[in-house]
Amino acid sequence: MTNPTTTVLAAGSELNEERIVALLKRTAPFEPLSDQRLREVASIATPVYLKKGDLIYTVDERSDDVYVIATGTVEHALGPSAQATQLVKIVGEADVIGWAALLKNKPARLAKTTCLQDCEVLRINGQHLIEILAHDEASGREVMTCFAKMLMNEFTVPAWLSQVQELPRKVKVGADGLETANLTGVSLTMFRIAQWLKSPRPYLMLLGFTIFIGLWYLLSEGWHVWRFDRLPGPVEVWEEWTSRNPVYGISLFTPEYYTHIWYSVRRIAEAFFLATLLGVPFGLFLGWSRKFREYTFPIFETLRPIPILAWVPLAILMFSGTETPVIFLTTLASFFATALNTMLGVESIDESYPRAASCLGASKWQVFRHVVIPGALPHMFTGLQISVGVAWFSLVAAEMVSGQYGLGYLIMTSYTMVSYPTIIIGMATLGIVGYITSAMVRIAGDQMMQWRVRELALGGSQ
Amino acid sequence: MNASTIVANRPMGRLRKSIFHDTGSRRAIVSLILFLVFWEVGSQSKAWFGVQLPWIGMVPAPTAVFSAWGPLLLDPSYWQSWWQSSYRVFFGFIAAMILGIPFGLLMAVSKNYRDTVFPVFEIFRPIPPLAWVPAAIIFWPTQEMSIAFVTFYGAFFTVVLNVIGGARSIDVRYFQSARSMGANGWDIFRRIILPGTLPSIVIGATVGMGITWEVVVAAEMISGGGNSMGGAGGGLGFFIWNSYVGGSYPQIVVGMISIGIAGYISSTIIRWIGSRATPWLRMR
Repeated sequence: MTNPTTTVLAAGSELNEERIVALLKRTAPFEPLSDQRLREVASIATPVYLKKGDLIYTVDERSDDVYVIATGTVEHALGPSAQATQLVKIVGEADVIGWAALLKNKPARLAKTTCLQDCEVLRINGQHLIEILAHDEASGREVMTCFAKMLMNEFTVPAWLSQVQELPRKVKVGADGLETANLTGVSLTMFRIAQWLKSPRPYLMLLGFTIFIGLWYLLSEGWHVWRFDRLPGPVEVWEEWTSRNPVYGISLFTPEYYTHIWYSVRRIAEAFFLATLLGVPFGLFLGWSRKFREYTFPIFETLRPIPILAWVPLAILMFSGTETPVIFLTTLASFFATALNTMLGVESIDESYPRAASCLGASKWQVFRHVVIPGALPHMFTGLQISVGVAWFSLVAAEMVSGQYGLGYLIMTSYTMVSYPTIIIGMATLGIVGYITSAMVRIAGDQMMQWRVRELALGGSQ
Repeated sequence: MNASTIVANRPMGRLRKSIFHDTGSRRAIVSLILFLVFWEVGSQSKAWFGVQLPWIGMVPAPTAVFSAWGPLLLDPSYWQSWWQSSYRVFFGFIAAMILGIPFGLLMAVSKNYRDTVFPVFEIFRPIPPLAWVPAAIIFWPTQEMSIAFVTFYGAFFTVVLNVIGGARSIDVRYFQSARSMGANGWDIFRRIILPGTLPSIVIGATVGMGITWEVVVAAEMISGGGNSMGGAGGGLGFFIWNSYVGGSYPQIVVGMISIGIAGYISSTIIRWIGSRATPWLRMR
């Protein structure tokens, strides 16, 4: 924004049309407008003269007008509901305040604005402004985009607020055939995608993948570098993966491929479900009851350092068949992660919350239901995410050692049958399926903890 | 902890009082004894009552485990397994630290580098380390190297992610104030980024150590014993698998407990080194 201390206009001189146009020209959002449009805007602008300390508007008033500051400085203090990145800011000459008037739902004022000096301010009716902007679609839209951009930079606004008012559209299909987009949610998303495409990120990402695949190709298939020539190259793997007649019997078009995926996913689902069903209540009680923790936690802690894979032979001894040991191992791994994190979640709750709840007359059960469980949720979902990862880890290992079908089994048998490209296909599939499952858990967590999502967005942490 | 520990000041008395008067430790002992008794009764259910309890009935009893452990303590091949697993863990872990820390720091320092490398890194992350075992065996000339690679791979991601997370959590104002006082890039790295990320490096190392043990056991089982790989890799994982194949079931549990102890000792060492490296955290 502009530096508030430099007041270019001499205070006291009348705000005539020429000065207003000159001022608007320097005002960021109006830059794209032609002189003629600026003159029109100037004609609906009413100059207002204010004394130091005067209030321009305050929180929760109706927002009909937009203000452009001509001289002087104004303190712009957002109310607590505004969810702004910066609550108080000083604005000065050629800054625009009060653009809530341009928003789609015309929310009430979000801020209180006070003059810090004697000020000259232009008052522009929002509705009239929009009508003027609608005359000239191209530059009008640019102005609105400017507002949208400012909005996004300064607020983390709720969705219902974040839309700039739609310009009334003149139907104009034909001649140039260009249908300019509306400034709705969709176009804001498009705008964000466009911004992303303008940043270097996607290209660097592309570069990263190109380097990786290029190196892989050159080392294995291109130059046949020592040792690397034993690995299947990207071309070979890709051809095998997408071939209708795979050399080694596994590709996107063979039903066995999906059988393996299905077996692994089903095992993960069963184990994860079981582990959550057992681990969450166990963890909640561990954190909630001191007695329970002191009796059971030592056993838990004695068993935990034993790697899950060391359980394999014992699991085979304990459970008959090939399916149950695999499920047992996977469940065990997830159970530890879930229970431990849930317990940490309960311990992370500020002690004054349960106390305050009991003071207000909540029963033990109510405290448990309304304080302990929601309080533990964030950690619990971290635990569940870890648990899915760990579940895949031990599932693959268990499938490799024992069991039939499943991706781990596929990888192992492909090794024994010297069908090397299939190993890579199996690994890549594991990566994809594993990523999808953990993304699902994360999304479920975000859905259940909207308050936390908002908190993180406000805190600005990633 | 509580009053009884303060009252007792004679050395022996202090120990006795703290164990028997602190409800926490008393309950821990009670629960562990109950656990052992339950285990013993469950395992011996067939011999004692003629009815075999499900699941637990197949597990070797604690008495059998301890009597199998006795002679093993004098057996050099048992200690050989300890040694083999430990040095695999050690090398895999050290390799992960040596490569992972600079890799993560570079990503934390340079945005362009991070944008290039991180997506590729991210697609590798969901692939479990064990899925790499066959590919590693194909690629590396010796079995030892392939086990070391898989071990390294297991710890690498945790270390890198923790380094990035640690560097990102540093308050921006530190950089700003350092810069305004004339610090150059190296000073900022040496005085802010490095100490700022050290606590999370320690956390990453502790977690990574746990994963390393998990991976080593599995890799030893798969490549040393599990299938028709041929060749005896040795190590505690192999010891367990071999006991299973050879039918000496109590030794399986001995192996499991040994790995548990080994894992516990190594994370204690890491934590100790970590608290030495970050003395300012001990003050809190």
